[in-house]
Amino acid sequence: MEVEAGKTAKYLREKQGVAEHVKEELKEFNRIKRAITDTLKEEELTIAQLSEKLQMPKHDVMYYLMSLVKYGIVATGEIDDRDEYYSYKLVK
Amino acid sequence: MLHYDALVVGGGIAGGEAALNLANTGYKVLLVEKDRSLGGKMILLSKVFPTLDCSACITTPKVSEIARHKNITIFTESEVTAIVKKSKNDFTAQVTKKPRYVRVEDCTACQLCERACPVSVRDEYQSGLIGRKAAFIPFSIANPKAAAIDIENCTLCGACEKVCPTHCIDFTMETEYYELHVRTVVLATGFNLFDPLQIPRYGYGQHKNVITSMQMEREIAPTRPYNTILRPGDGKVPDRIAYVLCTGSRDATVGNPICSQICCMYSIKQAQLLMGALPMADVTIYYINIRSFGKGFEEFYQQAKGMGVNFVKGKIGKITEKENGNLILRYEDINEGVVKEAEHDMVVLSVGVKSNPTVGKMFGRDELKLDPFHFVAQDDLLGSPSKTNIDGVFVAGTASAPMDIPDSILSAGSASSEAISYLIQHQEP
Repeated sequence: MEVEAGKTAKYLREKQGVAEHVKEELKEFNRIKRAITDTLKEEELTIAQLSEKLQMPKHDVMYYLMSLVKYGIVATGEIDDRDEYYSYKLVK
Repeated sequence: MLHYDALVVGGGIAGGEAALNLANTGYKVLLVEKDRSLGGKMILLSKVFPTLDCSACITTPKVSEIARHKNITIFTESEVTAIVKKSKNDFTAQVTKKPRYVRVEDCTACQLCERACPVSVRDEYQSGLIGRKAAFIPFSIANPKAAAIDIENCTLCGACEKVCPTHCIDFTMETEYYELHVRTVVLATGFNLFDPLQIPRYGYGQHKNVITSMQMEREIAPTRPYNTILRPGDGKVPDRIAYVLCTGSRDATVGNPICSQICCMYSIKQAQLLMGALPMADVTIYYINIRSFGKGFEEFYQQAKGMGVNFVKGKIGKITEKENGNLILRYEDINEGVVKEAEHDMVVLSVGVKSNPTVGKMFGRDELKLDPFHFVAQDDLLGSPSKTNIDGVFVAGTASAPMDIPDSILSAGSASSEAISYLIQHQEP
């Protein structure tokens, strides 16, 4: 069957569908991404501060925040006076 | 049916070296790699011991040479599912090639698909420390440097396809099956790292600041996941870092009583790099014995001591976590014969080397002889260490035993020489 170039994803989606867990994981990532970016709109925050505001474990905040740094949505800010924790800010 | 002189299974540093040697002698080689890129584990390392040369600077030119060689055909994302010896110099091999959903020859590695992809999953090339997209380039020095689609995690939204300027993304690609005829086989299937979840008392997976040496390798690499070395548990810059050597090696309780050969030295290497990256940090290495047996290794060990790395002859009993994420190591001080405790910000488990079980499955039942630790048995260890029990099948690198990079390359040289000799002796009329 000839499939139009640029529309092959639609072809495979119709052929085999998308697993529920994949859709759920995307929703979860979008929810966390929105929560982090909304919180960072107000001020630069450390992982611990974000964790407290979002009521989310620090290691989860670390993982998602660092992924957002990689994707160019968040940037690393200053380190604190004790050279221990960086703060993070939204990329304008 | 495809015909090649040699089939090399595994595109890491040993397989690559063997393929190059065979190809440079004029033989046609098929190199089969299971991953999306050539380079194996070495291409993901920061630096190498004992010279502290940049690992990528050694690997990437070699990988480029392999990729450009006219006598080498490369199958990535492919697996050899069966090898059968038909006659003296005739093997048939079944190869399964998974679809990449990207036409590599048309991809410019512009990363527009990566930016458009809405999915984020753990990046296996960064040891799970950060995320990656489902449409992605595996890592910056990957070869082929082309996008790939992680179909298991793709939502098939089509965003990548819409932005691709060369229209190289193609979801109609399907798994391909090949049957080949080859005259000789080199097995370079490498090794697996020990899974520290098998030792629950070390707390890996539970205590977020206990990481593996491969995760630390990524943290200190130039293409690292974070801006500097940070604790994955809370983003703190660590002050006191501990290494636990022999995690999953020299330990009969986890089924691996042999020495992994590389853990002492890569830990000493990482300790030196950490002291460069974090000059104020204290690095402590807990060891049973330091095995610095190779060329320049003892000097490298002494250099680490001179830099201030703290070596403690101690066996770790248990690692517990404090509320602030710090870790308490309870250990037996072997020299003093007493049990002590020490607090660290972060613990690195120097995980050992295990065999790759896939190699035995390629051949029929019991056809390829393995040693008691499931590495490929060397039929004539002292005379011809690359020979297996099957005439015409040779083994290279860590498929035969734990070894470091120079020894892997030497072993690959030996395997390719044996394979060339075999091809010459069994020339077709």
